[in-house]
Amino acid sequence: MSRFKDLQKNLFGGTTSNARQFGMIFALVAIVLFFQVWTEGLTLSSGNLIAVVSQYSYILILAIGMLMVIVAGHIDLSVGSVAAFTGIVVAKLMQDHSIHWFLALLIGLGVGALVGAWQGFWVAYVGVPAFIVTLAGMLLFRGANQWVGKSQSIAVPEGFQTIGGGFLDDIGPNTNFNNPTLLLGFAVCVAVIVREWQLRRTRTRMHADPTPLWVAAIRVGVLIAVILFATFRFAGGRVGTSFPISGIILGVLVVAYSFYTRNTAAGRHIYAVGGNSRAAELSGVKLQRVNFMVMMNMGVLAALAGMIFVARSRASGPQDGIGWELDAIAAVFIGGAAVSGGLGTVSGSIVGGLVMAILNNGLILKGIGADSIQMIKGIVLLLAVALDVYNKRQGRFSVIGSITKGFRGSGPSTPSEPPAQKVQTPVVG
Amino acid sequence: MRKYFAKSVAVSAAALLALTVSACGSEREGTTPSGGSSGGATGGFAADSLIGVALPAKTSENWVLAGDLFTKGLADAGFKADVQYAGASTTVADQQNQITAMTTKQAKVIIIGATDAAQLSAQVDAAHAAGAVVIAYDRLIKGTANVDYYVAFDNFKVGELQAQALLEGMKAKKPAGPYTIELFSGSSDDNNSGVFFDGAMSVLQPLIDSKEIVVGSGQTAVNQTATDGWKAENAQRRMDALLTSTYTGDKTLDGVLSPNDTLARAIITSIKGAGKPIPVVTGQDSEVESVKSIMAGEQYSTINKDTRNLVKASIDMAKALQQGQTPQVNDTKSYNNGVKVVPSYLLPPVIVTKANAAEAYANDPTLSALTK
Amino acid sequence: MSSAPVLLEMRNITKEFPGVKALSDVSLRVRAGEIHAICGENGAGKSTLMKVLSGVYPYGSYDGQIVYQGSEVRFGDIRASERAGIVIIHQELALLPLMSITENIFLGNEPKKNGAIDWTGAQLKALDLMARVGLEEDPDTLVKDLGVGKQQLIEIAKAFAKDVKLLILDEPTAALNENDSQHLLDLLRGFRERGITSIIISHKLNEIEAIADSITIIRDGKTVETLDVKADGVDEDRIVRGMVGRELTNRYPDHTPKIGDVFFEVRDWTVRHPISADRLVAKHSNFTVRRGEIVGFAGLMGAGRTELAMSIFGRSYGVFEGGEIFKDGKRIEIRNVSEAIEQGLAYVSEDRKAVGLNLLDDIKTSTVAAKLSKITKFFKLDEVAEYEAAEGYRKSLRIKTPTVDEGVNKLSGGNQQKVVLAKWMFTDPDLLILDEPTRGIDVGAKYEIYGIIQQLADQGKGVIVISSELPELLGLCDRIYTVFEGAITGVIDKADATQENLMKQMTSNKKMQTR
Repeated sequence: MSRFKDLQKNLFGGTTSNARQFGMIFALVAIVLFFQVWTEGLTLSSGNLIAVVSQYSYILILAIGMLMVIVAGHIDLSVGSVAAFTGIVVAKLMQDHSIHWFLALLIGLGVGALVGAWQGFWVAYVGVPAFIVTLAGMLLFRGANQWVGKSQSIAVPEGFQTIGGGFLDDIGPNTNFNNPTLLLGFAVCVAVIVREWQLRRTRTRMHADPTPLWVAAIRVGVLIAVILFATFRFAGGRVGTSFPISGIILGVLVVAYSFYTRNTAAGRHIYAVGGNSRAAELSGVKLQRVNFMVMMNMGVLAALAGMIFVARSRASGPQDGIGWELDAIAAVFIGGAAVSGGLGTVSGSIVGGLVMAILNNGLILKGIGADSIQMIKGIVLLLAVALDVYNKRQGRFSVIGSITKGFRGSGPSTPSEPPAQKVQTPVVG
Repeated sequence: MRKYFAKSVAVSAAALLALTVSACGSEREGTTPSGGSSGGATGGFAADSLIGVALPAKTSENWVLAGDLFTKGLADAGFKADVQYAGASTTVADQQNQITAMTTKQAKVIIIGATDAAQLSAQVDAAHAAGAVVIAYDRLIKGTANVDYYVAFDNFKVGELQAQALLEGMKAKKPAGPYTIELFSGSSDDNNSGVFFDGAMSVLQPLIDSKEIVVGSGQTAVNQTATDGWKAENAQRRMDALLTSTYTGDKTLDGVLSPNDTLARAIITSIKGAGKPIPVVTGQDSEVESVKSIMAGEQYSTINKDTRNLVKASIDMAKALQQGQTPQVNDTKSYNNGVKVVPSYLLPPVIVTKANAAEAYANDPTLSALTK
Repeated sequence: MSSAPVLLEMRNITKEFPGVKALSDVSLRVRAGEIHAICGENGAGKSTLMKVLSGVYPYGSYDGQIVYQGSEVRFGDIRASERAGIVIIHQELALLPLMSITENIFLGNEPKKNGAIDWTGAQLKALDLMARVGLEEDPDTLVKDLGVGKQQLIEIAKAFAKDVKLLILDEPTAALNENDSQHLLDLLRGFRERGITSIIISHKLNEIEAIADSITIIRDGKTVETLDVKADGVDEDRIVRGMVGRELTNRYPDHTPKIGDVFFEVRDWTVRHPISADRLVAKHSNFTVRRGEIVGFAGLMGAGRTELAMSIFGRSYGVFEGGEIFKDGKRIEIRNVSEAIEQGLAYVSEDRKAVGLNLLDDIKTSTVAAKLSKITKFFKLDEVAEYEAAEGYRKSLRIKTPTVDEGVNKLSGGNQQKVVLAKWMFTDPDLLILDEPTRGIDVGAKYEIYGIIQQLADQGKGVIVISSELPELLGLCDRIYTVFEGAITGVIDKADATQENLMKQMTSNKKMQTR
């Protein structure tokens, strides 16, 4: 029996709290399998996996930025409008001034940074609540999008389309698979093994019980099996398709931002500000700088998401970005962030976003109407968060909320010495 | 115990791995470029194949009706039908995802009523490459060579008819000009808006030039007259503003060119709200409320573009394709989507006023009841 | 007193939580008209007992019997106990700051006339209730505009509005200054004369000694004893003995200070109030700290001690007007908190929950929070270094926790305070400013914290202790400054300091310029 517990405890991540993240990933796996059966294998087919990644990568990119905004205790309602505004500016630049697409991409990121800085200024230095600032931004940049584009759709050149609709090229010998995707998959496998090895080493240095080797082996085995499965699926899509470029951009961002939020001082300051801003301030955290940075970063990511969408749609249109803020916010909260700030992880939000994506995709594959899908998504969001709240109140482990902790820390499950060590009260008896 | 456990774990892990590898078949095998050749007759496909229909959000009765007709018509023709609407707020992304899903499900024909005609080309390309024939329904999809056919009412003609009805109606009320009118056009992201407007202007512009007609506000450009998202509230808001800015005092408004019924009713609501007499207002789509309004003498005209005929024409194309024939088209030079001229099948619209309503809707049980 | 009838008897109350027995066989007898104190260390089970009594833990969730006014009662919720006249006033006041006094008093209990709230009647009744608790304010005043002391009185008035027979006060004076505390205690004496029974839970043993008729002591979820204050001749030491289970010969650890030279000096420090620009919260203050010295700051609530400390700590309070800081003879410029930390300053705030800790964090995250640069290697936080730092403090400060991965919200007040101390020790400060370092902490933990403070001083650091408890300052500090209305009114060496002369300087506006 204890072995089963070992397995449960250590399978995904290796700490007690990580046992809880099992729940969320389990939910994702369950949804995937459910739709896989219900759609008779379409869900995990190459074509569909590729489609899901390119359809939702921009929402997930938004979710990364939104996670940081929400952790800092704010909200950003303007992301869709900012995305649309950046999209039209970039499209217009390329159309009217025939600027090279890569330069346009950089300018787009700059526009996002400026927009973010504008909103960050009001939030951080003037002290207007982010809800209001970004509500204003939502109107402002939606209008700006229509003003710049005269409510027209503007097409973008082929080079630019790569970031949203491009795939890894077919190079190398004909293996009947896309070779770069295979290489990418193998590289990720290696990274997983290296990471596991590093974790074990860290835990040993922290004098914690290392995960039993066999559990670690299973964990790595399962992960690699999943990665290989995905790799072959992505590499085996219709000729001309493979792992989407937008998916690679997303992957890089997830790794970079996970590292940033978990392993750097600046990242930890965001959690400090959201958890207790006054305490953070009195610990030397520069409150205004953190708030400004978080809003500005959101602007940049919104711009990137907008451009990826435009690239995927091959044109920037007046309806771009409508409702994106809601998708991103939903992903973050399903992924375990707290409304009051201070809690949440990048990986949790990605899992939350994937739950919504697979749900959406599966329902579309089954031909469920967009109206019903919205209702179902609404209910899922409500239930996911309600279940979490209920579990917290019951003192049971909170499926979602505590994943958070699990993702954040990778500390030891037991200290080097027994905790029961009697603390002597220094009172003379 | 320990041994058994370790063993079972090893076995299950191995099984998992085996499963994984076995599941790694490539979709590349056998399916090498089937696209490209599917533009014309391809020798047909199975009679019970999937036909996908992607329609915009349910913002007007017409789309709802079209969806119902497609579902029924395709089923009657022996096809499997997958009819989808975009969500009300997330239109473009929804439609992109739906078309991709239809492609994944290997639909043989995908009929698309685009919400934003410029933003679907990537999905259309993918669908075409996967072997589906793409038919643009009512709205021409731009920027891709992979739209195979276009089925629509002759929208230029719609504009002409609207303008003619407008003139006719105004003359009936006031035999001699000059007439003061206002112009409304549809959503600027809809390719058809411009076509309607151009059609109407082809009739009106000479009269404006000869001062027989005056546009009270002077707003005659497409972007000035546009109604974002075809939304009634936007039209009503613009009309309110026009009434305040231009039609105060005893300045009268003789006619309003409205591109469709929903907007026509919004415009009439606005005018009634301002306590002004209702001018001659045109429309399009034969919506139930507008037919009632016409019978009550408020809205002047509408256009009967019988959705039944349009849906039927689309399904007929699918049937022809299924049998390996080339679908019938009647216009191969007018509709250029920026990349190529799309072979089109155009249906003639019919103008309806109170005078000919009973005759025009004779075949429609709902509407004909209203005309009695 | 002892002849009065028993109003409340709780018999053999046992309350278990999953894995923990919070109360086992606790009994309590409260006579009508007395002031009954319940004493015990943090976590002894006092609050749990009161929650059982008030129906927060409903009948059925505990074992045992509650007899009230001669018959057994089974409260299903708080409303039921309130209907019976039992009202609890919690440490954290349950008032709505943006509502008026009247609205607060009748919240959830609004007097109605024809279905609508009868505000005139409510006003009149409120005035009557306010008179009974000695509160002279306009009943339309918003609660946020009142001090904590007056807010406490509103809570009591609220209890009277519910026709209270048994008033339970949980740490009523914890946040009050000397004057307000006195007023409250007088009020309780007045209630006793009018026959209202009170139960008081407090850590301030001197107050208990002064006011209580009988005392029930709880330790580790069990009743230890019930003392009759007059008959048994109870004093503070006697209560402490009951609470910790042994004689406490010395409330402060023995300590021989090793005092060096002056290394930190503040001159002419002047700060304006952040909102009312004409108010000075620090008026031309001068003080010095020597190496190895523990310096006390005595003053009444609102005297400006915290404001002075925080303004020095990176101008984190008020608007800087003027003044200079010298460290090791050199003038230093501190414009924000991170510069203060860089310069070796540390400030442990008086309210650890509100501003001292991020309660969402675990112990190790909290420990390193104020100096992440110390564990950063190439932009990356070193988890092992973080763990080792936290683990080190866990051992040296005796933080009672199974692991440093535990959330700080799960720790007791004393252990939380140790985490806050660890957090600031981790910044390697030269000068630590400790604002009310033992507030809300039980006797045993206080002793440990005093020991830590002395150790820090022995390492050559300067320590400033701000405290409202004069005995604490007298027991701990080598030198004590007194503060009155934003000005430093004097400084007294340990040898010369008494409660009386401190109190005199704390309440006089005659400025005595001393170094």
